[in-house]
Amino acid sequence: MAYILQQLLQNSAARYPEKTAVWARGRSITYRELEERSNQLAHLLQERGVRKGDRVGLYFPKCVESVIAMLGVVKAGGVYVPLDPQAPADRIGYIIGNCGIRVLITRTDKRRGLNEATLSSLACSILVDEAPQACNGAGMVPWAMLAEYPAMCAPQVTLTETDLAYILYTSGSTGRPKGVMLSHQNALTFVEWCAAKFKIRSEDRLSNHAPLHFDLSVFDVYNALEAGATLYMITEDLALFPSRLAGFMESQQITVWYSVPSALTLLLLHADLRADKLKQLRIVLFAGEVFPMKYLQQLAERLPHVELYNLYGPTETNVCTYYQVERGRLAGMDKLPIGIACENTEVFAVSDQNEMVTQAGGSGELYVRGPAVTYGYWADPEKTKKMCVPNTFQPNFEEKMYRTGDLVQLAEDGNYYFLGRRDSMIKSRGYRIELGEIESALLSHPAVKEAVAVAIADDIVGSRIRAVVAFHDGVSLAPAELQHYCGTRIPMYMIPEAIDFRPELPKTSTGKVDRAQLAQESQQLAMK
Amino acid sequence: MSTNPAPTAAQSAVKDQIREFILENLAQPKGITSFADDEALMETGVVDSLGVFRLVSFLEDQLGVRVGDEEINPETLKNLNTIEELVIRKRKK
Repeated sequence: MAYILQQLLQNSAARYPEKTAVWARGRSITYRELEERSNQLAHLLQERGVRKGDRVGLYFPKCVESVIAMLGVVKAGGVYVPLDPQAPADRIGYIIGNCGIRVLITRTDKRRGLNEATLSSLACSILVDEAPQACNGAGMVPWAMLAEYPAMCAPQVTLTETDLAYILYTSGSTGRPKGVMLSHQNALTFVEWCAAKFKIRSEDRLSNHAPLHFDLSVFDVYNALEAGATLYMITEDLALFPSRLAGFMESQQITVWYSVPSALTLLLLHADLRADKLKQLRIVLFAGEVFPMKYLQQLAERLPHVELYNLYGPTETNVCTYYQVERGRLAGMDKLPIGIACENTEVFAVSDQNEMVTQAGGSGELYVRGPAVTYGYWADPEKTKKMCVPNTFQPNFEEKMYRTGDLVQLAEDGNYYFLGRRDSMIKSRGYRIELGEIESALLSHPAVKEAVAVAIADDIVGSRIRAVVAFHDGVSLAPAELQHYCGTRIPMYMIPEAIDFRPELPKTSTGKVDRAQLAQESQQLAMK
Repeated sequence: MSTNPAPTAAQSAVKDQIREFILENLAQPKGITSFADDEALMETGVVDSLGVFRLVSFLEDQLGVRVGDEEINPETLKNLNTIEELVIRKRKK
């Protein structure tokens, strides 16, 4: 029984030393190599001052070294923080400062793009690109240095399941991303449920479609390690081309797939997705956004031999509910349930009267309790207090439960259905986006007086984003200039695709910006 | 490698049209204000998963070439030069 993540690797490396553990960009490593390299990295990290609980950033495009780095950090007792390799330097700099990253595992070109202030806050950069000649500066360590450290065992560190394993940053409504703290126990609760539920075996070949800063990847990486299976990492370039991606699934004989629904929709629309070519595929999991029924029906028809599951849960709980698609019922359904609670997790809806919803037809905000739930947000006790609240439904001991902010309805058959959000968080391609974070970015420009970001419903990606902006008197900018400015503060997937300008934003009778009206007008503009 | 003579007016017009489309619809909405003809559009994020299909729709609807699913790949859509080559090749057929 594993209680910390690295034990999953340790067990599989002992059972299947020569089996391929990870494949990415045409390179692969065996379980023995993964165990040894991550041991070496852990020793190197410790020598460079990483102690229990210290945060280590991972900032480079997906490759075999990504998995070595994740495991190496936890073996050193550290907490890894996957950073979006495509995010602007300003945002990466904020995260590095926010959680106090002093050691960064990165690539030369990525490191070069960081701000001076960020670079000077780092004690050490470990560079995964092979060229050691690039490492001429102080505090620059080439990956090749790993060879000089002991491979046979990891350094001695006392960890329990309650220690932190990783932090995932998601969009924050106040304009800055927030770091969700996840412990070994949080991750393992989910991984062990998946292992039993989906019967992942050592013969399985799991794809990894999601980026590593996205919690869907936790399943891919750790369930592969848990089972002694092989992980096939899908790099950004492959993910963009459905026909290639389908070819990849076929040639690598992927058996288990997990992604956001929009990735599956693109495969359906632009690739020859056929059951006879994907005979090995047995399970498709999807999460992160609502799967439009018409595409799910098509997927179910095209791949009749595959089990389909809708998984639901915010990063703060990983997955907390699931629903297995029943093909017989699909035709008559207009909405897909998010299902029932995973094992070792309890979910319930809480009404506006603060009562637990127990009757079918009742609705309320979904709350989650159990060992999968986060401790809260890094260095943000206020936000943590707001979202992780005392469980008032049982009086016997102190316990926290997580408020998802999602409104759900309880159906006759015991399944929950997602109704909408309580706040202005939206989803696009599975990414969580706080409209407030976009508005903060717009408002931080000196010319901007008022700004509102609006989500436009989209069949394939969930939502697209537009913005309406009013300038201060006497100044104006072209949309492209403002979009460019946003690009220095927020990730590309958050930048409004169109910005409309008004002399002033419309107000409600209480003097607040009339979001409803702007949303309606933007919707119409987007249709044109 | 192609050793084309100087591009005809019609050919460079094609490139300009493609450049303008990408700039206005894909690059600027991502905060990118310019890109070189040989710049890898996927790597810099100018073209993302949806951008690929907006670009293909543009090539089909505005430039009148049919693009097969297999032609939607990282080689043909690598940069402005390769996209132009695709259009010219398709038009010759």
